[in-house]
Amino acid sequence: GKEKASQLISEGSAFDSTVFAEHLLSFMGLNRLEDEDDEPPNGGAGDGYLPKDAWHRLARRAECCFRTAPSFHYMMGSFYAEPPPPKQRLE
Amino acid sequence: TSQVQKGLEKLSPAQVDQKTAEVVQYILVKDQKKVPIRRADLVKNIVKDYRTVYPEIIKRASRIFEQVFGLKLVEIDPKNHLYILVNNLDTPPSNPSPVEHPSNPKTGLLFVILGVIFMKGGVVRDKLVWNILKKLRVDSGLKHDEFGDVRKLVTDEFVRQRYLEYNRVAHTEPVEYEFRWGQRADMEVSKAKILEFMAELHDQDPRSWTQQYKEANPTHTSSQASSSSHR
Amino acid sequence: MSRQLGDSHRRFLQNMMTLGITNEQEAKALYQNCCETHKTQCAPDKLDEFIDAINSRLQPMFMQIRKGMSEENGHQYYALVNMAETDITRMTSDYADNELELFRKAMDLIVSSENGKVSSTDILNCTDTMTSKSLKKSETQHLLTRLVQEKWLCERRGEYTLSTRCIIEMEPYIRAMYQDQVKVCHICHNIAFQCQICENPLCGIKIHNPCVARYFKGRTDPHCPACDDFWPHEIPEVRGLRSQSKR
Ligand SMILES: [Zn+2]
Ligand SMILES: [Zn+2]
Repeated sequence: GKEKASQLISEGSAFDSTVFAEHLLSFMGLNRLEDEDDEPPNGGAGDGYLPKDAWHRLARRAECCFRTAPSFHYMMGSFYAEPPPPKQRLE
Repeated sequence: TSQVQKGLEKLSPAQVDQKTAEVVQYILVKDQKKVPIRRADLVKNIVKDYRTVYPEIIKRASRIFEQVFGLKLVEIDPKNHLYILVNNLDTPPSNPSPVEHPSNPKTGLLFVILGVIFMKGGVVRDKLVWNILKKLRVDSGLKHDEFGDVRKLVTDEFVRQRYLEYNRVAHTEPVEYEFRWGQRADMEVSKAKILEFMAELHDQDPRSWTQQYKEANPTHTSSQASSSSHR
Repeated sequence: MSRQLGDSHRRFLQNMMTLGITNEQEAKALYQNCCETHKTQCAPDKLDEFIDAINSRLQPMFMQIRKGMSEENGHQYYALVNMAETDITRMTSDYADNELELFRKAMDLIVSSENGKVSSTDILNCTDTMTSKSLKKSETQHLLTRLVQEKWLCERRGEYTLSTRCIIEMEPYIRAMYQDQVKVCHICHNIAFQCQICENPLCGIKIHNPCVARYFKGRTDPHCPACDDFWPHEIPEVRGLRSQSKR
């Protein structure tokens, strides 16, 4: 017990993934359900729902951690050039 | 290299240029999926009869990626000879692009997983990842609106792209798996910036995570140059 | 001649790769931003020269940043396009073969239509005649949503048109493949889908809606620029921003 404690201090703060998840939920704009005030939160992360753009919000902030190469997308040249089938037009 | 030299003498400069352009095109097309490109495929599909001058062609292609696109062609797996493209331009946070571009929600997911692995010392059991994702309303057993089959995305797509390594833990009964950073993540993702965002989320000084801070900001005397030390 | 590029050029190109297409105003803002970021000189009226320098280096890879007009609002846009059709370019992974076949069928219908549009019902009906693996109704709907998101088609009230990005990139292809069906604007000489047509059966020239707006602006008695017959269509308003983006 004692050994572990001193080891922890030399390693700095511990990282708690539950706390991390809570912070992420806040960052992503969790809507906590208001009408359940009287109910004790079970485990913390159980209630509420995330907005539709939650993961986009996180992605936008996290982008700068990545040095991802942009990729090139095109339509022309992605299939064989083929003339359309002849049209029989009655007029 | 003298063999390369001899090979080059048999080819016109225009031929070499054209082959180089084809290699650049091929790599750009293959990079759409972000799966590393195998040298064997590159040689078989594109380089073909030019394989004697391959080193010269790949050198020129790298130069085009750097000079024209601001990208870097990196060999990530010297044993299996895999190539990826990474961005060679620094992102200046003070001067973001004035034109809004669509964001990719998978970047958020990758941040969560890579972030946890990094903060936990480089390796975590898969259970921990699934638990965190579940708290974030992403259930690995269900189809997610944004990510579809999440388990497949994380253990297959991210692994093939080399963002993650997903391996069986030895001597466990029942079988257990663990995640680590993949080689693409090592090249592409800045630990310093991950830590910075972590600190922001926790409203905490990044230096309070001593180990992680050291790893993210290696001292200049360290011989190992880190791609993540730019600020 | 190919020119030396700086990081400002490279950053601009990377933005074009991410965006696919951008309007003139955004392109100017982007140009300025890229120059500021890399502390290089920026002449606001030199955007096209800046882009030419990039294009000179893209040319060997058959890529180009190409300028074109939106049929919707008449504004100028810049799109990063591919110009080659080879075994390499056909390795693209964005769409499956049957998805590309359906896209081509939708394009056939749009090009041969009177008004440059096709209904989702007509596209859904195409799936019966596919040679590659047929798409289910839900798959087709999902594909159409993706094609709109990725800026290849536009949708309005269940009708689909070719997007500005698609027209800019595919113009040479459309001209070559649909020679006898393709319409060309009498004013700007580009291909036209959304356009007005002279009602004189001996004339029948086409003019883009925004080109109509600009050409007949302020004229009370509009006449066809080719045959001089009365121009009977409603003249659309010149959409804003145009004069604004000029300075
Ligand atoms: Zn016109
Ligand atoms: Zn006329």
